[in-house]
Amino acid sequence: MIPEIGHIFLISSLVLSLVGGLGPFIFNKELPIRKMALLMFLLVFGSFITLIYSFVVDDFSVAYVAQNSNINLPIYYKFAATWGAHEGSLILWILSMNIWLLAFISFDKNRNTNFSNIVFGVCSLVIFSFLLFTIFTSNPFERILPIPPLNGADLNPSLQDFAFTVHPPLLYFGYSGLLLPFAISISAMLSGQSNKDWASSSRPWTLLACSFLTVGIGLGSWWAYYELGWGGWWFWDPVENAAFVPWLLTVALVHSLIVTENRNLFVSWSLLLSIFAFAASLLGTFLVRSGILTSVHAFALDPERGLFMLGIFSFFVLGGLAIFAFKNSTENKTSFYSLNSKEFGLLLNNVLLVVLAVSILFGTLYPLIYEAYTGGKQISVGAPYFEFIIFPFSILLGLLQGIALYLSWGSTKSFNFLTKLILESLSIFLLTLVLLFVLFDELIPASFFTIFIFSWLIVGSLLINFSFKSFNKYLDFLNRRIGVLLSHTGMALLVLGVGVVSSYSNDIELILDTGEKIEFLNKDVELLDIKDINGPNFISKTANIKVLDSGRTFNLQTEKRTYFPSGQVTTEAAIDTGIFRDFYISMGDNFKGDSWSFKLQSKPFIRWIWLGALLITLGTFISSINILRRKS
Amino acid sequence: MKRILNLMPLVVFGILVVVLYSFLTQENEQLESVLVDQSVPEFKLPALENPNNILSKSSVNKLPALINVWATWCIACRVEHPFLMQLKNKSTLTVYGLNYKDDRKKALDLLENEGNPFEFSIFDQQGKLAIDLGVYGAPETFFVDKEGIIRERHVGALTQKVWKEKFEKFLNEDNDV
Repeated sequence: MIPEIGHIFLISSLVLSLVGGLGPFIFNKELPIRKMALLMFLLVFGSFITLIYSFVVDDFSVAYVAQNSNINLPIYYKFAATWGAHEGSLILWILSMNIWLLAFISFDKNRNTNFSNIVFGVCSLVIFSFLLFTIFTSNPFERILPIPPLNGADLNPSLQDFAFTVHPPLLYFGYSGLLLPFAISISAMLSGQSNKDWASSSRPWTLLACSFLTVGIGLGSWWAYYELGWGGWWFWDPVENAAFVPWLLTVALVHSLIVTENRNLFVSWSLLLSIFAFAASLLGTFLVRSGILTSVHAFALDPERGLFMLGIFSFFVLGGLAIFAFKNSTENKTSFYSLNSKEFGLLLNNVLLVVLAVSILFGTLYPLIYEAYTGGKQISVGAPYFEFIIFPFSILLGLLQGIALYLSWGSTKSFNFLTKLILESLSIFLLTLVLLFVLFDELIPASFFTIFIFSWLIVGSLLINFSFKSFNKYLDFLNRRIGVLLSHTGMALLVLGVGVVSSYSNDIELILDTGEKIEFLNKDVELLDIKDINGPNFISKTANIKVLDSGRTFNLQTEKRTYFPSGQVTTEAAIDTGIFRDFYISMGDNFKGDSWSFKLQSKPFIRWIWLGALLITLGTFISSINILRRKS
Repeated sequence: MKRILNLMPLVVFGILVVVLYSFLTQENEQLESVLVDQSVPEFKLPALENPNNILSKSSVNKLPALINVWATWCIACRVEHPFLMQLKNKSTLTVYGLNYKDDRKKALDLLENEGNPFEFSIFDQQGKLAIDLGVYGAPETFFVDKEGIIRERHVGALTQKVWKEKFEKFLNEDNDV
């Protein structure tokens, strides 16, 4: 009965979103958009709750529950299994879009103007199309009747994990947040809202979407690091790229909107970028859900769903671009700015980010294109291509970001800051090298570039305006610009983390018998024993390992788990975390008797990558909240 | 001029949509028209373990068997590796590896460290046999029945679930005969 109620909620929200979507365009009527947005949200929320309920009470007559849960699954994971696969993810996605819409309407001060009505209409249409997609191709409320299974098939074991349970909701929230910039851009073109108005209305939401995308991607990377058992933090997997491309475009949009709002420039560019960012998030969904690209992210592969997604993509993206080509009523003036202005700096930033995004998208799609036009020949584009591409872009973007905050609108009067910037960055650079030498006893030239960029960024974002004499003034500056300073500092830490971990990492693979001792990077590592341990829904071989590291002794447990409903095997890595290095042990396969293979890795500075991502998340979040507060 | 420029994004994305559409429809044809119900194609390729040992169709002789396309650069292959090890330990079914566009040393290292689930691996650096098999990407798994006929194909990682749904039935069928 409960699942049917959820189903009815879903269908009611479908009808409501269609009315809301057509209202502003066809009836040309003033709709009670606040109430409608609230009602739509409540209906989808209700249906989400009923789905959670079906999971929690083990209602295996619901096909989706039977496929993704199990009686023995711990209650917390039953709850999280709701979004463990395609159908539930979609509901969550639609729910997020509703939350964004509701938030926009609540903060909107142009209430019931043509502008807000069209934003509401576009959002409702997108929500309608996703609801249609869900109900017709991916309905989570379908029943297995008359004889339901007694037990479910289980949630994919590698997804039974804390980071996983929060990674998808946050990422979806970020992805779906790009709906607002898109809707605002369409509405700006149709209603002819002034550029300052629509750009300032779009900026906080773009920042917020960026914040959620960053934390979602960061959590995904962290999860892959400790859960998959390889110690990697980024794989250039198509699904990762599908999130990275929208992120890059969103970052570009965050910057170009500043120019549109303050200088009435880059108008068409910001409009287009809003459409592109949304298109990239839809395209990502399409690539992942259609199964065109195979990857570690095991999702449902279904060509019918692919066609449906492609339909949604074409309708909104081509529709948006057609409006841009024929119905664009925003005011577009040209004015001059010099090559040393903030405008030009932000232009370069945008060009670099967008070209990088397109290159990564191209690398992701290229295997498909190659195959289609060579009659089925295969090619794989892997990490070397992406690393080769991203390196020069990061250097250029980094150099630019370091001076960004010193530039002024129109033209920058003096470049005297450069001497100070260069000298201070060089000192930080040398200090960092000394620190690395003290920590790891060696200097690796390959990392010098990234370490210099790190120093340049730290100086460019934190030490700007710094002086002991007017320290209070400096604190005031920090306070005023806290959002941008945090995100830019986050970028610096991330760059350092990537640079150090990719050149200072060490690993060794070996076979250990119980009681055997070895030495790895001045650490004594001893395999104490291997025990059989029974978990709630798995059995595990747990290796207990003692490590003696410069006077400190600690024990680590790494596991090979076999989850019994599915028989799937996962590796639980043992990680001794540290701000300067992680020590990472993962268990391989059994050889004979009690000897197992192990992989030992040292991952210096890897935490800085996620710390950086966290600062970017915080920074963009704070900026967004500050703008929203100022407005209301 | 301005007008044409404004049309550009629409044109570019229009082309993208057409290309994506062609992938979708093309992929379906391809996946259905592979060598299912045909015999394993002829080949002459070295063994991964020993470059001097040239293998051919007749080397694949412990039937029924699985042919698993794998490579060290393929992440999903690592995901399915533990399952292949389980198959090796639990079942009598032979698994042949087709090492696809890989580096011999890296591949051998991986098998040494993570265990070798394969009877032997065919070293297909240029992807010759893979093309004949219509391989779409690694990992991919084919079931060959005891007459040497390919009966089923799976693109993507081989898991317990896939095994149950697509492959297990063939073993029972074989026992019946």
